[in-house]
Amino acid sequence: MANLIEITDLAYRYPDGTPAIDGISLSVESGDRVAILGPIGAGKSTLLLHLNGLLLAQSGSVTVDGMKVTGETVREVRRRVGLVFQDPDDQLFLPTLLEDVAFGPLNEGKAPREAAARAHGVLADLGLAGSEGRAAHHLSGGQKRLAALATVLVSRPRVLVLDEPTGNLDAEGRAKLVRLLQERDETLVVATHDLEVARALCSRCVVLDRGKIATQGDSARLLDDASFLQQHRLTVPLGDRALRGSTGTRSPKNPHNH
Amino acid sequence: MSFHHLDQYAHIESPITHTPPVVRLLGTVVVAVGAAALPLGAWGHMAVLALLVGLIALLARVPARVMLLRVSGPLAFVVLASTAVLFLVPGQPVFHAGPVVVTDAGLLRFGSAIGRAVVALGAAVILVSTTGFPDLVSAFRDLRLPRVVTTSLGLAYRLLYTLVDEIERIERAARSRNVGAGARRRRQLAVGIAATALTRSFARGERTYRAMLARGYHGEMPSLRTRRVDVNSLIGLGLLTVTVLATTISAYMIR
Ligand SMILES: Nc1ncnc2c1ncn2[C@@H]1O[C@H](COP(=O)(O)OP(=O)(O)OP(=O)(O)O)[C@@H](O)[C@H]1O
Ligand SMILES: [Mg+2]
Repeated sequence: MANLIEITDLAYRYPDGTPAIDGISLSVESGDRVAILGPIGAGKSTLLLHLNGLLLAQSGSVTVDGMKVTGETVREVRRRVGLVFQDPDDQLFLPTLLEDVAFGPLNEGKAPREAAARAHGVLADLGLAGSEGRAAHHLSGGQKRLAALATVLVSRPRVLVLDEPTGNLDAEGRAKLVRLLQERDETLVVATHDLEVARALCSRCVVLDRGKIATQGDSARLLDDASFLQQHRLTVPLGDRALRGSTGTRSPKNPHNH
Repeated sequence: MSFHHLDQYAHIESPITHTPPVVRLLGTVVVAVGAAALPLGAWGHMAVLALLVGLIALLARVPARVMLLRVSGPLAFVVLASTAVLFLVPGQPVFHAGPVVVTDAGLLRFGSAIGRAVVALGAAVILVSTTGFPDLVSAFRDLRLPRVVTTSLGLAYRLLYTLVDEIERIERAARSRNVGAGARRRRQLAVGIAATALTRSFARGERTYRAMLARGYHGEMPSLRTRRVDVNSLIGLGLLTVTVLATTISAYMIR
């Protein structure tokens, strides 16, 4: 069976000359759950933008469901790949939540009645029933995250691509989101700094560094390997002093501080 | 912020919101043109049209208080702009206001301008109160306005929306840091906020545009509201047109 997503030698340089992606090859099978890890500026978001044709390959290629992603196929590709952006405020732009969630199905040509029914359904699934008429900017950070997810789930994509889904969430919101995503059966690609989330959601990890794949492999194995994590700057020990707090009372055990 | 709530009666179920936006738009045009065509001093006929507008507002369930409030803003401009005719139109002097003389012809024109404006503004207020901007844009599209125009209208709206949103955020951040104690400082701050908001909303507009594309946007803002023109709406529009026409024409015949 062909891979659902096939990336070959992909490179992308932003117009200002920043080489954000530099020769990435990666395949994702149907049903895969892949975490994209890496320090800030590694190229995670840039890679994700290629998955549904918001950026087109400058060299190399991206293939989704057998279609090479080009200007011609991009609409078909976007039906299959749902992308949730890093910042939900960018994703929610209509006056009410219901309109925002119905936006995708309406663009696909669904009748208003059906689009609205679907939107109601998805909002209810995510625990947002009753907020249909509210404006996105009146929602809490966690609710916005869920709403942004709803705008994509409603179109029933085969692949869910999430950029930093747990950013700005509290422990409860984060747990809720993870549980919700665990129950879904879409193919999943998640860019995240949150290693626990990567472990909970994904069976495979791909580590990017400076636009290249530094390494990839089994989540359970890689994420337990402390020296690996440090080597790729995925965790950095805060240090003795930071852990104790720099201004609090000093430890009496330390003989130098008197 | 008021901008977001302009169309707050759009989500109310009413005979007006059940008509497609294009019919609402045409109805508004009919009333406005009818009012503008009324002869000078046709007070009774103006009152009839105003009553008609009031009736539609009632149907649309836009409260009288809201109607008055929303009409009064633009009306103030009309009053300001029309004051000059009070003195400039030659006629019999009615009374003296300081160095200038108010004439009867001036008064007639002034009053007629206000009367027509009240009717037209009332109709326009009902339209924007019951019709979200994307629906208005779709109405323009139904009237075969060029796609370039309707699409840029839609995008401009979205940009305005993010702009207002950015201003709110920055303002909140500024307020939380307790800056802007004095009035002068506040004014300076406002300029700064506007500038930052503008640049930020451009950047965000770009990202939002990507989000729209990601969800299948292809140059047309879709809308949840029905757009099929049904028989009832057509009958409604027809009745309105006949009433307005009859009022306007009779105003000429009776004179
Ligand atoms: N629009 C842009 N124009 C120019 N350079 C950009 C643009 N967006 C990102 N970059 C640069 O491209 C590189 C990769 O950015 P990208 O956003 O993909 O990183 P990331 O891994 O998602 O980072 P983070 O974890 O902070 O979200 C960075 O060096 C970044 O500064
Ligand atoms: Mg990123």
